[in-house]
Amino acid sequence: MADLIDGNPYLLLMLQHFNIDFRVSDRTLLQLCHQYGISERLFLSIANLYNGSGTGGEQPFTRKDLLQVIDFLKSSHNYYRFDKYPQISAYIRQLQENHPEKELKLLEKFFNEYFTEVREHLDYEDEVAFPYFITLLGDDKYKNDRQVYSSREYSDHHTDIELKLKDLKNLLLKYITIDNDLDLRRKLFMSLYELEFDLYIHSLIEETILIPSGVDIEREQNE
Amino acid sequence: MNKSTLHIAILESSKIICEGIQAILYQSDMDCRIRRLGTLDELIELLESNPVDILIANPLQFVNREKEIRKIRKSYPSLSIAGIDFGMMHKPSTLTDVTFTLYDSSEHILHLLLKLDKKSQSHSNEKEGEENLTRREVEVLTGLVNGMLNKEIADALNISIHTVVRHRKNIAMKTGIRSQSGLTIYAISKKIISIEDIDL
Ligand SMILES: [Fe+2]
Ligand SMILES: [Fe+2]
Repeated sequence: MADLIDGNPYLLLMLQHFNIDFRVSDRTLLQLCHQYGISERLFLSIANLYNGSGTGGEQPFTRKDLLQVIDFLKSSHNYYRFDKYPQISAYIRQLQENHPEKELKLLEKFFNEYFTEVREHLDYEDEVAFPYFITLLGDDKYKNDRQVYSSREYSDHHTDIELKLKDLKNLLLKYITIDNDLDLRRKLFMSLYELEFDLYIHSLIEETILIPSGVDIEREQNE
Repeated sequence: MNKSTLHIAILESSKIICEGIQAILYQSDMDCRIRRLGTLDELIELLESNPVDILIANPLQFVNREKEIRKIRKSYPSLSIAGIDFGMMHKPSTLTDVTFTLYDSSEHILHLLLKLDKKSQSHSNEKEGEENLTRREVEVLTGLVNGMLNKEIADALNISIHTVVRHRKNIAMKTGIRSQSGLTIYAISKKIISIEDIDL
């Protein structure tokens, strides 16, 4: 596994979201899966996404897999909420303080509004969508309570939270004039790219693993 | 490298139509390899391991799977999609790049596909270079960042709402900025509007 991390350090993000310690020693991928009770299929599907191949979906995942997917997604939410967005926010704040251009004030406002939207998105998933899926994956006794919501409904309202991130990146790359301060600006860019990368895969997992599996289970149960 | 082979996939369950398109392509002097697919899932599988430049598809295959198509387009930006128009589509689909009907001439169909090919080759350069907005686009943008609705912009400029929407799409494509608040910052940095007009 250490070789794989060497080849693509972004896999560290994946390990963290799976709650796997970075000190993987000489363990192989398989041994690591065993140690943490994660199925090889699930681990590989997600690792492939991080390595830029595969689309994630289509294979049948077990209920245990899917519960782990939800834990993975929740853990990513906390990484966005408490680590990545606050970090970016701090950089933008610093940039705004260093440069008098009024555009930067606007940029900060833009980012804060965006962060609020993202938080709403994450809260909604944590409080409404994921609990629904957890119940769906659980015992049949709750069957009647859950008719009010469905995977489709989640899918229909699933917004694209990467859109404004792209805007932000383009504004900084192409339009807003700031001179010098390259250290700070590079750090900001690197954070934006790291976030964009993880967020893209995150949405893919939600849309190509979680939602289709939910739809399948609902279909089964309605038969 | 000289002109490379064009990889074309046809997603259409009718054998007659499939063979017809194939015959047109093979009889032309286009250098292409053709795959026939019965379902969208086969396409997804194919894309994972093979290059596809152009997908010719029956848009009925896309019904209720719009999200997946968008995902595919996102993951494979160089893929172009040509839709077959069976005369049932009333509005142009946003999922396809071009459409042709079963009654179009072979020349017309080949011409469309060749144009798509060029598009996929210059895909990345095209996006840049084209940042300059037309005068009309600037007018639409100004309305937008002043919080006007599509209808209000259409009335003010004396154009149809449909045209406003088209301009908005072009603005987003050229600038790479999609959200209204992002466009406001763009407009200020380009001095299209003054920062004094905005309350901070
Ligand atoms: Fe999420
Ligand atoms: Fe989400």
